[in-house]
Amino acid sequence: MIEPIRLSFEVECALDHAFEVWTSGISQWWPADHTVSGEHGLTVVLEGRQGGRIFERSSSGEVHVWGEVIIWEPPTRLAYTWHLKRSVAEATEVDIRFQAASEQTTRVEIEHRGWERLGNEGEPWRDRNRGGWATLLPHYVTAATVDPST
Amino acid sequence: MSSQLPPGDPFGALGDPNRRAIVELLGTGERSVQEIADHLPISRPAVSRHLSVLRQAGLVIERPRGTRRIYQLDGLGVEAVRAYLEHVWGEATTSFQRLAVGSSRADDEG
Repeated sequence: MIEPIRLSFEVECALDHAFEVWTSGISQWWPADHTVSGEHGLTVVLEGRQGGRIFERSSSGEVHVWGEVIIWEPPTRLAYTWHLKRSVAEATEVDIRFQAASEQTTRVEIEHRGWERLGNEGEPWRDRNRGGWATLLPHYVTAATVDPST
Repeated sequence: MSSQLPPGDPFGALGDPNRRAIVELLGTGERSVQEIADHLPISRPAVSRHLSVLRQAGLVIERPRGTRRIYQLDGLGVEAVRAYLEHVWGEATTSFQRLAVGSSRADDEG
């Protein structure tokens, strides 16, 4: 087994909001850099249900599917298969838990696992995905954070 | 983001994990943008932008091969980063030695 990527952080917003921004609000914050086409003006969709797809759709209608929801338990847990820029056979799994740390603080714990499905490529692909997560998550935190002064 | 970096600062360029991954990939051999993008979980346009930052920082050079552009590490720029780190490391080692010698003398006198 290849050790999963595990990440955890807190975001200054209520639990429901943290979940909604990740799911129905995904297109507001998911950066074009972290897509297949990288095209500006594309839409990112996470279909909020068991079996729902996660995909990007360009302005010209071209679709790239990134994964499929396998656990849908709003607002505390969400898991999906993930094959952005890989074939479906090489899908890994992203498992995200949202917990209320206080009324206005949510703890987010992410486990990204299943790298062994990629064989020898699993470990280097995991290591490069660490960089992907590191540059992705600040976009989510900025979008989800509720400024108490507003 | 990359546009806020002062152009030409190799350490600024290396501050981004995706750019470090590109440098690591190019360390194993020259590659085209597509070949680099195939190894990273980010889009091809994003890889092109990262390469541009690395080029401005003097870490990567670009040259044509047929109709494609090929990227490789810039030996001079990489050497400058290594020399800088070695210099800092050398200074740190010297001052640590001075500190260690000084404290052992103090122990002798104490």
